[in-house]
Amino acid sequence: MKTSVTCFLCLTSLVILTGCGGPRVYESELDRRPITSRLEAQDIRRTVEKMAESLIADDAVVAATAGQKPVLDIEPMKNRTAMSVDMKSITDSVRTRLIRSRLFRFVDRSTTGADIAIMDEQAQLGLTDPKKAIRPGQQLAAQMYLTGTLTDITTRLGRTVDHYYKFTMILKDLRSGEIIWTDEQEIRKFARREKLDR
Amino acid sequence: MKLFALAACLLAMSQFVGCYSTAGTSAVLNHNTGESVLFEGNTTLRNRIAVTAVTYDKVASGMNRVNFQLASQVQKEIHLQYRIAWFNSEGMEIDGDSRTYRPLIVQGLDSVTVTGVANSPNAVTSRIRIREWDSSH
Repeated sequence: MKTSVTCFLCLTSLVILTGCGGPRVYESELDRRPITSRLEAQDIRRTVEKMAESLIADDAVVAATAGQKPVLDIEPMKNRTAMSVDMKSITDSVRTRLIRSRLFRFVDRSTTGADIAIMDEQAQLGLTDPKKAIRPGQQLAAQMYLTGTLTDITTRLGRTVDHYYKFTMILKDLRSGEIIWTDEQEIRKFARREKLDR
Repeated sequence: MKLFALAACLLAMSQFVGCYSTAGTSAVLNHNTGESVLFEGNTTLRNRIAVTAVTYDKVASGMNRVNFQLASQVQKEIHLQYRIAWFNSEGMEIDGDSRTYRPLIVQGLDSVTVTGVANSPNAVTSRIRIREWDSSH
C-alpha cells in the first residue's frame, strides 16, 4: 500500500515537473521583476510615465503655453550608450501619454512624405471631390519639440556588473531656443554572475 | 525512498504556491471630498510599511496631484513597488494599462513621499497600491 502511494506521488510530481514536453510560454505582467541588469521593458515604461507626469505638472510649461494647447513635435532621443535601444519608441510613448492628457497637440514630421503622397493622389487621380481635397500648406507649425538623451555607466567588478542609466528629456521652444522643461530618470541595476556580452 | 517522495511533493507544491504574496496595502483618496480610505490586505506588509499621510492639490494645468507619505516600521531596508491609479467619477480606472509599478527602496524606519499626477482631467479619485518586492538583492 505504502509503496503504491509513494509511486503515485512520485509519478504525479514527475508529471508536474516535466509538463507535456512542449515549449513553456507564459503571459507576464508588464512590470515584472528584472531578469537582467540591462534596460528592460519595465524601465522604459516607468521612464515614460515619469516624464509625461513631470511635463504635465510643470508650472513653466503651462506658463509658456499661456493656457493654450501648444503644438509639439518630437525629435527622437539620442542613444549615447553601446546598447541597441529603439529611442524613437520612447519619445512616441511619451507623445501618446501627452496626447491622452489633452493638454498638448502634436504634429509628426516623420509622416510628412505620406501626407504629401496622399494630397498628390487627391489632387491628381480624380477620385476625390476637388472641393474637399486637402491642399498642402495648411498644416500646423510645431512651436516646441521634445527630445532627449540616454547615457549609461557600466562598472564590472569580478562577477558583479553594475549599470547606471540616465534618461534626460528636454522641451525646447523653437522660436526662442529656450529649454522650457527638462527632467531626468536615473536607473541603477546590478547583477551577480551575469554575462556582459556587448 | 520516502524522503525522495516527500522532497518531490514539496517541490511540486512550490510550483503552485509561488514565492511571495502580491496582496498589498492600498490607500484611496477622493479628490472632490478629501476622504481617504486605507486597505491592508497583507499583515506582513502592514507591519513593515504604513501610509502615514495623504495630501492633494492641483497642478497648474488643472490635473489632480496626490502625495502619499509612507513610513517604514522596521529597521531593515525594504524593497517595495507602488502604483498610483486614477479613476473617473464613475469609479472606472482611466488608462490603467499605462500606469506602472515603480520600485521603491525605503531605509530602516525612514519615511518617503511618493507623488502621482492624474493622466486625465476626468480623474477624481486616486489609489496607491503597494506590494512587497523581492528582497533578495
